[in-house]
Amino acid sequence: MNFLEGIRIALGAIRANLLRSFLTLLGIIIGTSAIISVIAIINGLNLYVAENLSNFGPGVYVITKFGIISNHEDFLDALRRNHDLRYEDARAIAENCELAERVAVEVHSTQDLRRGAEVVRDVDVGGIDPGIVDIEPYEVDQGRNIDEDENARSAKVCFIGNDLVENLFGTIDPIGKTLHLKNQEFEVVGTAKKKGSVFGMSRDNFIKIPFNTFCKMFGSQRSVNISVKGLPGVPLEESMDQARAVLRARHHLRYADDDDFGIVTADGVNNLWKSLTATIFLVAIFVVGISLVVGGIVIMNIMLVSVIERTREIGVRKAIGARNRDIRLQFLVESVTLSCLGGGLGVTAAFVFSWLIRTYSPLPTRFPLWAPLLAFGISVVIGVFFGLQPARKAAGLNPIEALRSE
Amino acid sequence: MSASPPAAGGEQRLLIDIVDLWKTYQMGESEVHALRGVDLQVHDGEYLAIMGPSGSGKSTLMNLIGCLDTPSRGSYVLNGRAVGQLDEDELARIRNREIGFVFQTFNLLARASALQNVELPLIYAGVPLAERRARAEEALQQVDLLDRAKHHPNQLSGGQRQRVAIARALVTRPSILLADEPTGNLDSVTSREIMVLFERLHALGNTILLVTHEHDIAAHTCRIVSVRDGRVAADEPVAQRTLAHASAS
Repeated sequence: MNFLEGIRIALGAIRANLLRSFLTLLGIIIGTSAIISVIAIINGLNLYVAENLSNFGPGVYVITKFGIISNHEDFLDALRRNHDLRYEDARAIAENCELAERVAVEVHSTQDLRRGAEVVRDVDVGGIDPGIVDIEPYEVDQGRNIDEDENARSAKVCFIGNDLVENLFGTIDPIGKTLHLKNQEFEVVGTAKKKGSVFGMSRDNFIKIPFNTFCKMFGSQRSVNISVKGLPGVPLEESMDQARAVLRARHHLRYADDDDFGIVTADGVNNLWKSLTATIFLVAIFVVGISLVVGGIVIMNIMLVSVIERTREIGVRKAIGARNRDIRLQFLVESVTLSCLGGGLGVTAAFVFSWLIRTYSPLPTRFPLWAPLLAFGISVVIGVFFGLQPARKAAGLNPIEALRSE
Repeated sequence: MSASPPAAGGEQRLLIDIVDLWKTYQMGESEVHALRGVDLQVHDGEYLAIMGPSGSGKSTLMNLIGCLDTPSRGSYVLNGRAVGQLDEDELARIRNREIGFVFQTFNLLARASALQNVELPLIYAGVPLAERRARAEEALQQVDLLDRAKHHPNQLSGGQRQRVAIARALVTRPSILLADEPTGNLDSVTSREIMVLFERLHALGNTILLVTHEHDIAAHTCRIVSVRDGRVAADEPVAQRTLAHASAS
């Protein structure tokens, strides 16, 4: 008795009890579709984060007061002992680190903007070294970036994000027009291309003004972020070590002290993200695992019922020459066919979920091509594992008693 | 045509050779002897009936002859092979090749067509698809049901179902056709139809062993073996044979 024959028999048995089979498979369907949906979402988010979350690419690091802090205690500790970073720190790095090709600073504040009667609240105001565009490029849509000369004379010029263009100017060409920041009039010299949003948070709601202009308006007591582009061809770690040594010397840290500043790299952001999703993933796998085990037990249960219902059929098959292993294979194939059917439906459901989420929610999803294989693998394992006991039971039936059963 | 029954014993090949066969069941504390030393010889081409009231041990004897069970004691040689002490898988092979079962309740698979039911033993024999189909059709032809090949059991009458079951028993060309009360679930007209078929198959050289408690049915055969209290009480040729195909007309 071969495999195809077994599948044919199994499909016949499933077709004979369509509703029951479907209900039996619900656990597997939910389990596989859930696991693949979770994978699709995390997959999509990973890709999204890799593309969008960090402005800066490889070869660049940013020194900030806090760096990446992922727990509350570290944050409190950093709050207590970390120094504010100053423009002079950036100058020192630029002068003393030959492995730093470019150094620039940026400082942030959140303010309201006004143009005539229109007001946009909580805009991210960045005071920038014009040189920062060499390190973290902004894609210019219209006009140009702020230049060194404007920074040097603390000119009231600005470069704005797409949200501001839409909300303050609408269809009007913003270049050369003015807007108000803290009752000071700024001339728009350029606009950025639309970047879209991450998790519902707009990344176009910003205004860049010259660093010196920022200091005059808001004071120079804020901690700056220092962006550094490492020398090409040299490992970034070496450049980072140089910068660290400079800052530690300036901050008079002893050899045993920890850094009192943080360094953020694209890899660092991605690693933080990956450790976060790994946790989500583990929890999801655990929950889905329970659902799959329950699904498997339901299959085992229904197979045991099926063995009892078909005792006489088993007797007949044995009487006409089926060996124990033929019967065992038949029921094993049936349970695997059943669970694979569930896996298939699960993949289909996951594909639909994934599409729905991508289309109707801000969450990006990406349906992995290996998902059907994974579902198939899981289904086969469940089918075999939970089908073994019923199949053994069927194979072990005494033919005489089986023939006599009702 | 007149079926000429071959003489019991003599020049015909010995198909079943049972010597001092015992079957003992353990029922709690006590032992129950279902068979107490049965001797039985059946030759190739015979048509015989095993008779006996319920509890006589006739079902046990049939199960042993059909290789569904193994004896507690004694020897059973089927078609030259001692089958008394084989394991389950070997018994399954013997059943597949040597025995064609016909049951009182037909025992067809409800979800399979007549043709698929007949093919079933060949699947377990490992016969490839094309040959399987051809042989199954040939077997259905033998019972005049080729035109019903695609029908499912619930689309067939009782007599037709039993004929499909007989085709299924014939399809492996077994040594013996073992029929357990084959007419027990059929009305008298259909019963006669089945007996005509058995007579025809016997005339074609098949060895047929009927198990029945109805004397009318047993009277169609050439030899009646009566079992009582686990022993063969009588074993004699039928003097006045009823010929089904004659009385049917």
